[in-house]
Amino acid sequence: MGSSWDVGNWPSFDPHNFSQLRPNDPSAPSTPITYHPTHERTLPPPDQVISSEAKNILLRQFYQRGDEKLRPKRAAPENLSPEQECKHPRASFASSSEPPK
Amino acid sequence: MFRRHNITARIFERQIHTPAPGTSIHRARRFYENIVPASTIYEVECPDNSFRKFTEDGKYLISFSRNHQDLIVYRPTWLSFSCKQEDCDNQPLPPKAKKFESFFTQLYSVPLASANELICKDFFLYAETNQFGLFATSTAQIYDAPATGGAIQGVPSIEKITFHLLRLEDGVVLDERVFRNDYINLAHSMGVFLFDDLLAIVSLRYQRIHILQIRDSGSLVDLRAIGEFCREDDELFLNSSAQALSSVDKRAPHHTPVNNAVNGSPLEQPAQENPFLSGIKQRLLSFIVRGIQNEEKDETMRIQSLKKKFYFHFQDYVDLIIWKVQFLDRHHLLIKFGSVDGAVSRNADNHPAFFAVYNMESTEIIAFYQPFNILQMSSDELYLLFEQYCDHFHVPSKSSPYMNFISSHSNNIHALEQLRSSKNKATSFPLFIKKVLVSLPFNCQSQSPSPYFDQSLFRFDEKLISAADRHRQSTDHPIKFILRRPPHTLKFKIKPGPEAGITDCRTKRISSFLFHPILPLALSVQQTLFLQPAVVNIHFRR
Repeated sequence: MGSSWDVGNWPSFDPHNFSQLRPNDPSAPSTPITYHPTHERTLPPPDQVISSEAKNILLRQFYQRGDEKLRPKRAAPENLSPEQECKHPRASFASSSEPPK
Repeated sequence: MFRRHNITARIFERQIHTPAPGTSIHRARRFYENIVPASTIYEVECPDNSFRKFTEDGKYLISFSRNHQDLIVYRPTWLSFSCKQEDCDNQPLPPKAKKFESFFTQLYSVPLASANELICKDFFLYAETNQFGLFATSTAQIYDAPATGGAIQGVPSIEKITFHLLRLEDGVVLDERVFRNDYINLAHSMGVFLFDDLLAIVSLRYQRIHILQIRDSGSLVDLRAIGEFCREDDELFLNSSAQALSSVDKRAPHHTPVNNAVNGSPLEQPAQENPFLSGIKQRLLSFIVRGIQNEEKDETMRIQSLKKKFYFHFQDYVDLIIWKVQFLDRHHLLIKFGSVDGAVSRNADNHPAFFAVYNMESTEIIAFYQPFNILQMSSDELYLLFEQYCDHFHVPSKSSPYMNFISSHSNNIHALEQLRSSKNKATSFPLFIKKVLVSLPFNCQSQSPSPYFDQSLFRFDEKLISAADRHRQSTDHPIKFILRRPPHTLKFKIKPGPEAGITDCRTKRISSFLFHPILPLALSVQQTLFLQPAVVNIHFRR
């Protein structure tokens, strides 16, 4: 009771379940309310351009290892195992187009 | 999950079930479990040609005449006959089934080689988009050729190698490219790599990688020649600066050129005496030096490290020559370096191999791997990449999508199990790596795309038959193809040679197998090493 949801008289476990529901009024079509985020943490940078990576994954691995070799090393010896490398933050690949120093 | 094996049940299931995402081709290929080339016609009467292979789209069968001078192209058709009896399926085949012409129609025969040339019968590359075929003819090899004109000492020379580009539809020769007094490894297309419309030809003698493009019109266009010079205008620049300096020197003879990048020696000497390394060798050595320099922070340690790791082996690095090349994508090449002896010898296992990744556009070396574990650029890193990303070494191109479905240990669990078990069985890991890396860089188009070689459909003895098209030792026993999935039944057998087997066990026989990429049709060719005619069997689905 109290439910104006009686489109089709569908059975329900508890008739009070749908008492809050306002069915769509076909006479006054309304667009659904758009969600606006209340914070700005997830906004993309204003100059972001999404494009596909030209190099395939194998070449990306070659470039990554090459960049790591040519970057000046830290004092502690690095263990260049492939599993750990995958978790390092990816180096910027624009550096590969620089002329060699 | 148990899947029904009955073909009718599978067809009904295909009508109502969509396949899992990304597996529509795999599901379509499963029908090849039901349609197998189980019937064999022994000793087909066929012309005495050496059959090379089916093209990857299955439209042509390429063969060469016995005298290696003509190219003969056939179109695969199918045996057709009429039968008036009641039970036609069990009737024996009509006598015309034993003729080669019932299965193949000859399209044309084109003479490619002139008088003293021979067609290299191991060489054939197919450009699928335009149905172009690339063939090679060469004159005889000269072994002790003098090293003239920038050639490497120790590499044999061939007076004339011609590459012919043909349109396979009608056999018209569209273009030719001639290399004189050069040496290109033509066996199994090892010295040439085709990727989409780009062709990389390795001239071992002059140490150049020629990059050509096959245009749609059928012409071969030179793009660049990497070796002595990296960029297209390097040669022009060096020659023009040499000229400018020689004219400066004539006008002011007392003026000594200081820090001249081109000439370290007096200007009278010819350019070949230039002690500076140029081109790709310079790029390679400077990459190695920068890698070693970056390892040490301390200046004295750095010099020590350079002395020990680089200058000690300097001459070995300088003496490296390009062995083999493949494309990794349109701009990157994987180059294998080694010593001169290794390039020429048949068994390259004993010679250490060095790998480099080179970017043609920026002319930079991206990576370098060597067999010794001195630096951290050793071959086991390359092996790890090969193990994880094997399919990317088999560079897939848009024009040949079937390449994605050839079984390798990156796309097939059974091939991966095989690799793992041989890795565990190997006594020495470095030797195992060396054995595996011998196959890099890959030969172009050397694996058959036939679904009967798909490891997830069939299990077969890899030593007797496999997707790689090379000749194998022939046995009398038929080669069995067994289903991978339950009920693990034997589906069909391939038996090369005559039906009764060979009684004379002394002569060594080799067989080769040509599988049609789409139809359930295969040819097995068994030949002895003497010039006896080959025994050809046709295996097909009746």
